[in-house]
Amino acid sequence: VNGWTLAGTTFLASAVEAVEALTIVMAVGVARSWSVALRGTIAALIVLALIVAIFGPLLRFIPIDQLKLVVGIVLTLFGLAWLRKAILRYSGRKALKSEEAAYQRELSSLRSVEDVQADRVAMVTAFKSVLLEGLEVAIIVVTFGAASTLALEWSLVGAVGAVLLVALVGIAIKRPVSRVPENTMKFVVGIMLTSFGTFWTGEGLGIAWIGADLSLLILAAFYLAVSAILIAAARVPQAVRA
Amino acid sequence: MSIAAIWEFLAGDSKRGPLAVLVAIVVAVVLLRSGVASPIVAAAFAGTIALGLAASVFEPQA
Repeated sequence: VNGWTLAGTTFLASAVEAVEALTIVMAVGVARSWSVALRGTIAALIVLALIVAIFGPLLRFIPIDQLKLVVGIVLTLFGLAWLRKAILRYSGRKALKSEEAAYQRELSSLRSVEDVQADRVAMVTAFKSVLLEGLEVAIIVVTFGAASTLALEWSLVGAVGAVLLVALVGIAIKRPVSRVPENTMKFVVGIMLTSFGTFWTGEGLGIAWIGADLSLLILAAFYLAVSAILIAAARVPQAVRA
Repeated sequence: MSIAAIWEFLAGDSKRGPLAVLVAIVVAVVLLRSGVASPIVAAAFAGTIALGLAASVFEPQA
């Protein structure tokens, strides 16, 4: 599979999760202190890096057919969950996520904590948010990188690039990054993960895809068409939403 | 961390989506063992997953 496709998918997936984590880290920084927010973030990033460093190379000891099957199933499950959420949001059945609202909620919750334990609670909050948002990305990076060292490197480039970009934007604007098209990114990642997952699970089962890697494009177009139909079919009328 | 929490982390809060993945795998294995041509199995496999996505979109939300 093309390295740019791997990097592009992990970039988008990481950007979505990094935006969500940044919201909480920002709230911790503003409500308590930036050193506490930074300590929590760095601790979580070290844990995530360890997960990728340990499980990335380890997966290559599994026979390729079994590996494709396991990786394919995990990616399909992730992809369907992301895609479902994005379709529900596009159709109005689920509220669009507001980073600004999440930021305000976290801010008032952190400010209500008593002084004695406030720093500890704030650090754990930053740690948990970065770890939980990053865990899904770490699993995606590891599974995408399971094919070869080069694949792992491409996946890492995408993920690290997104995290750095979101962090830099956050530092520059000193506010949660609320203007990114989060749902569209989630939708695109959902389509890509489901397509990769279907392709690899199929290969693991012994299906010979027509056109080999090119069938990934056909799968992506197919899931895109199905999702467009589902968004239209599930759409809640504006009057009902109001 | 409980198995239920790990499962929810992997598959989200839908039951129908993961069930469709399981059904798609079973269907593909049965078809392949029956000697059905790969393109037909591939279509059935992706189609079943797409049906699962549709079912999960209309699944009552918790």
